[in-house]
Amino acid sequence: MTDVDLSLDQLLDRPWVTVVWDDPVNLMTYVTYVFIKLFEFTPEHAHELMMQVHNEGRAAVTTGSREEMERDVQRLHEHGLWATLQRDDKM
Amino acid sequence: MGDGFALDLTLDEAHILINLVEQLLELLGDSNFEHHYSNDDPLAQLMGLGAEVPTPEDPVLLRLLPNAYADPEASADFRRYTEPTLRRHKSEALRSIRTELALIVDEIGADQLSKGGRVEELDGDTWLVALNDLRLALSVRLNIEADSFDTFELLPDEDPQKAVYAVYFWLGWLQENLLAAMIS
Repeated sequence: MTDVDLSLDQLLDRPWVTVVWDDPVNLMTYVTYVFIKLFEFTPEHAHELMMQVHNEGRAAVTTGSREEMERDVQRLHEHGLWATLQRDDKM
Repeated sequence: MGDGFALDLTLDEAHILINLVEQLLELLGDSNFEHHYSNDDPLAQLMGLGAEVPTPEDPVLLRLLPNAYADPEASADFRRYTEPTLRRHKSEALRSIRTELALIVDEIGADQLSKGGRVEELDGDTWLVALNDLRLALSVRLNIEADSFDTFELLPDEDPQKAVYAVYFWLGWLQENLLAAMIS
């Protein structure tokens, strides 16, 4: 494979994202805490993502390979958050 | 192992908590312990957590063990290889707090004059996860929505559902306080 082929592969291969969904049970403080604990976000970034979940119903919190996102989803489920994974629908 | 947090509980509160914990453990498939509640316990019936649901599609389990993909087949595959670990992880947290609660209910509870007890050196993360799972389980049975607190406040005191809602909101208060102690 040439360098050009590799770059094309990367461009066409959309990454996966982990999406966290809003629910009426989880405390806002708890969601923020889980984001910091699991992904080592700054408190500000964690709070911002939590508010996005709260206001928009969902937020993409991490991105990467499918295997990495499956691991993130599993860890989020361990903490009682409702998470799914999908192909990034931006780009 | 402990983080140095302590939790004061009245005997009633410890009874309610251990009752809920044991019912959820059973629902998750772990019933190998001495029960602190009997099936004719009015609290057990009110909570209905351990109610006989023959299908594996119990909505409480579905909330605790959610689908990871929009596609059902991908979700089923994911569930097949992750669910046992997830169930075990949740059961372990519940088991851990059950042990601490049993100390109050079994030992301190025998003392007629004692009004409650203290859980010493509790592990914050374990209690957070266990409390959260209890709240999620109850929220399914109670059909909790964003405005449920208003609904709760409007219930007449004689309504038996009010006591159940009260426990749900009390668990949220407990969790909020624990978080505040852990973050500070």
